[in-house]
Amino acid sequence: MNEHDAMRELLPLAAAEGLDGKEQRLLEEHLQGCAACSAELDRWRALGHGLRRLPTPQAPAQLVERTRQQIQLQLAAAKERTTNPWLLGFLVLLSWTLGVATWPVLRLLTQGVTSWLELGFRSAWVSLLGYTLAGWAIGGLAAVAVALRRASARRAA
Amino acid sequence: MSAATILWEAPLGPLAGETETARLRRGDPSAFEAILARYQHRLYRYLVRFVRDRALAEDLFQQCWLRVVQRIGQYDPRRNFEAWLFSVARNLAIDHLRRYKPESLDEPARGDSSEEPRVARLAAGGPSALDHVLERERAGRLEAALGLLPLIYREVLSLRFEEEMKLEEIAAVLDVPLSTAKTRLRRGLEQLRQVMEAQGTEERRL
Repeated sequence: MNEHDAMRELLPLAAAEGLDGKEQRLLEEHLQGCAACSAELDRWRALGHGLRRLPTPQAPAQLVERTRQQIQLQLAAAKERTTNPWLLGFLVLLSWTLGVATWPVLRLLTQGVTSWLELGFRSAWVSLLGYTLAGWAIGGLAAVAVALRRASARRAA
Repeated sequence: MSAATILWEAPLGPLAGETETARLRRGDPSAFEAILARYQHRLYRYLVRFVRDRALAEDLFQQCWLRVVQRIGQYDPRRNFEAWLFSVARNLAIDHLRRYKPESLDEPARGDSSEEPRVARLAAGGPSALDHVLERERAGRLEAALGLLPLIYREVLSLRFEEEMKLEEIAAVLDVPLSTAKTRLRRGLEQLRQVMEAQGTEERRL
């Protein structure tokens, strides 16, 4: 391939501004003495210009709106899933403490009426465990109920 | 959502110097709005050029944004967001075509692997033929000609001339070496010109 042919090969890329520095320099030198390649480059540029001016298909407004709504739902769902673990830990501890504290408060308020339910000190850990398990069971049931309700709301949406 | 939860959450509004992609990563809906507004038409255009089917482009458009939101955590902020966005769209489109229209993932036309320069053949058609076409062809004709090219050339021409991406960005979207992107760009232009000249020659005959 002689120099002229080699330079001619570069013309489409030159019109696309895709030459590296060295290729660009070589081509510019060649173009100074080659009217045929200069004219040819103009034609490639005209083609590139035509491509740049092609009408842009516009995304339909309804499609954009639909997408926007879908993403907002997605972001909201993702947000629900990323509950702060420290907050969750704090709430669990708080509910457990309140649950355990309920018994002495109840006893105080009922002035000993419920003393027949009272367990001895030795079996205090049993009542503590009972409170804890009951609390977790109720919390778990509540979580399942909320999840089911949200799932049905999402299906309805 | 309870008031307590809100107190414990990071604020969703923009922080000083924070990019939209960083805000989207935190789940800020307003960041998504801004990104969608900026890229909606360009992304849609790219998909239309890619799949040549507006209904399918609409489906892919929606899927693409969903995937962007799902995978924004995987986006490396040091990379060009635009290139990442278009590569997400491209991968989705290719997956779809591979599954439902494998024939449309056409390889270059026969003889394209040849190293023989095609410019000489083009010149044989005569400059007047091209001048003739370029002067009076409307943009619609050029668009139709673009649609006749194999996918690998359509997309590279669209990314370069419509999306105004640099070759390095195009290579990133296509996930190919820079030299391959360059070769596809050159061959795409050559093929497009061939199609245009063939149309012009045909018209002159009529």
